[in-house]
Amino acid sequence: MIEVQALSKRFGGVPAVDGVSFTVAAGEVFGLLGPNGAGKTTTLRVLATLLAPDGGSARVAGHDVTQEAEAVRRVIGVVNGGMGLYDRLTGREILHYFGRLYDMRAADIDRRILELDALLGLGDALAKRAGTFSTGMKQKVVIARAVLHDPPVIFFDEVTSGLDVMARRAVLDVVRAYPSEARAVVYSTHVMSEVEELCDRAAVLYRGRLVAEGTVAALVEQGGESNLERSFFRLVERSGLAEREAEAVPA
Amino acid sequence: MIRRVAGKDVLSTLRDTRAIVSNLLIPLILLPVVMLGLPFLLGGLFLRETTTVTPLGALGLEHAPAELIALVEAQAATLERVDDPEAAVREDRYPAAIAIPEGIREALAAGEPVTLDVYRKTGNMRSELNAGKLEAAVAGYRQQLVSERLELAGIDPALLEPLRIQARDASTEAERSSGQLSWLIPFFIAIWALTGGQMAAIDATAGEKERGTLEVLLVAPVRRAEVVVGKFLATTLFGLWAAVMAIIGFVVGGLVLRSLFLPGLDAASAEMVGMMGGQLTITPTMVALLVVSAVLLAALIAAVLIGVAMFARSFKEAQTYVAPLSFLLILPAIGLQFRDLIGIGEALYWVPMLNAMVLMDDAVKGAATLNGVVITWLSLSLAIAALLAFALRNFKREDVLFRT
Repeated sequence: MIEVQALSKRFGGVPAVDGVSFTVAAGEVFGLLGPNGAGKTTTLRVLATLLAPDGGSARVAGHDVTQEAEAVRRVIGVVNGGMGLYDRLTGREILHYFGRLYDMRAADIDRRILELDALLGLGDALAKRAGTFSTGMKQKVVIARAVLHDPPVIFFDEVTSGLDVMARRAVLDVVRAYPSEARAVVYSTHVMSEVEELCDRAAVLYRGRLVAEGTVAALVEQGGESNLERSFFRLVERSGLAEREAEAVPA
Repeated sequence: MIRRVAGKDVLSTLRDTRAIVSNLLIPLILLPVVMLGLPFLLGGLFLRETTTVTPLGALGLEHAPAELIALVEAQAATLERVDDPEAAVREDRYPAAIAIPEGIREALAAGEPVTLDVYRKTGNMRSELNAGKLEAAVAGYRQQLVSERLELAGIDPALLEPLRIQARDASTEAERSSGQLSWLIPFFIAIWALTGGQMAAIDATAGEKERGTLEVLLVAPVRRAEVVVGKFLATTLFGLWAAVMAIIGFVVGGLVLRSLFLPGLDAASAEMVGMMGGQLTITPTMVALLVVSAVLLAALIAAVLIGVAMFARSFKEAQTYVAPLSFLLILPAIGLQFRDLIGIGEALYWVPMLNAMVLMDDAVKGAATLNGVVITWLSLSLAIAALLAFALRNFKREDVLFRT
């Protein structure tokens, strides 16, 4: 479903993503694991056609992200922790607005809203204006909007940051339930336990580079530690990127 | 797709109570109040001041010739004795005062010149008005004395006036009735197009960035050009709405105020109201020119607003970016007051923004020319297209979209 080949992106000469390659198959939840500044968000923004890559290539559901940007946008859904809603529109109005942008008919949008209400428990959020939503309610509508057109590929970027335990659980359940034979998820996070719970495979990113890739069990094994978190640090250490970062920082 | 983007922005802004108040109510009320209410109010005050009998100070009142006192009273004023006329006016005990020297009657009888000091506060309208009454009385008395002396000498007074000047007004009826403050109409339309469009533009650009909704919109299958045009149309609509409200406010307010108050004013006060624009004649051509120019001006301002506000990271930051735009509108409006002194050539109709205001001023004065109209509308259309291209470029720039 997703093929990323030697992808690079620089901001003002500084590499944010540096030669990253990976593939994601249908039915998979693929994790992008790394600390802040690792290049996760930039990678997802390139895949979502928001940023143009400086090097390499990427295809999403068969469409090239630079040559067929509009086609890519039709087959993806994007959710990130910082995404907001139109405060003066109700949940239903927001979903209708975005549904129409995907050329969905009003009746189809209503039918899909019923399905998503059953899945996510949108409840009052459909009739209330978004400005009155709690953080959890807001995130549910953000997710509903992202999956409204039933995209084959969906990107989640740090979606649980700032959520309470109940809302976080609801979001994780949706992520886990989403993939099917025809659908794939890319899940970006710095929370190891979320990768362990959700991801079939994951890539460890650090300072724009892909340090390791594989199933969670394979990553733990590559790190040679007892759990993913310890292995993550070991993998970063072995890559030599952490030392280079320390050398670059003046004492 | 453009309609959907614009429709969402319109609905979102419509639900903002502040937007409704500032777009609908304020322009509807403010323009008639300032443009017509103020002159009517001033006219009424002027009328009151000229007809109310006002006590004025007089040093040496006992020396005053009876004829002079009678002429002062004819000017709706009475003289009261004061010892220090300058202090009396400075301390606001009297709005104006006169000093009548001892021996005035004897000096006049001997044909000697006499100086009368009239005290006033320069810059104080009431004081100037009442000093004017004293000067008018003295001038009347002087004329009376000159006529008497010429008669005694057997000279025809007409001999002193071999040439006469007769002022003839060559301006059109529209120019006469538009008054000195006709520039306020284009100024108000421009300012309300800016104020009305501003809220929608910022909400649709920097506001979307701040809320985190812009990224969502840009990952939807909508072309950037459709997003820009949709937001531009919503902004234009609100700017135009405010401008049209200002025009309606002016027309309706003018009719009501004129029918209620003008008949009650005397000739002098009515003339003052007319001078300030209170008797504007509204014609269909004038309204058509104003409306089309307002549409283009609102579109131009909307294109600027969308392009500029997109740079900002937040609503507040965008407000600081667009604030200087009001100066761009105020400066030409100030220039319009002196347009007859500056001299406006045809080249000026090519300058976007300024040309719309000049054309609207022309329309109000009934002085619009076909060349002026064509050049202005063409220039505005080209400028709108260029500014939209600039806005589109900003919507495609990664450093603008993801500026943090």
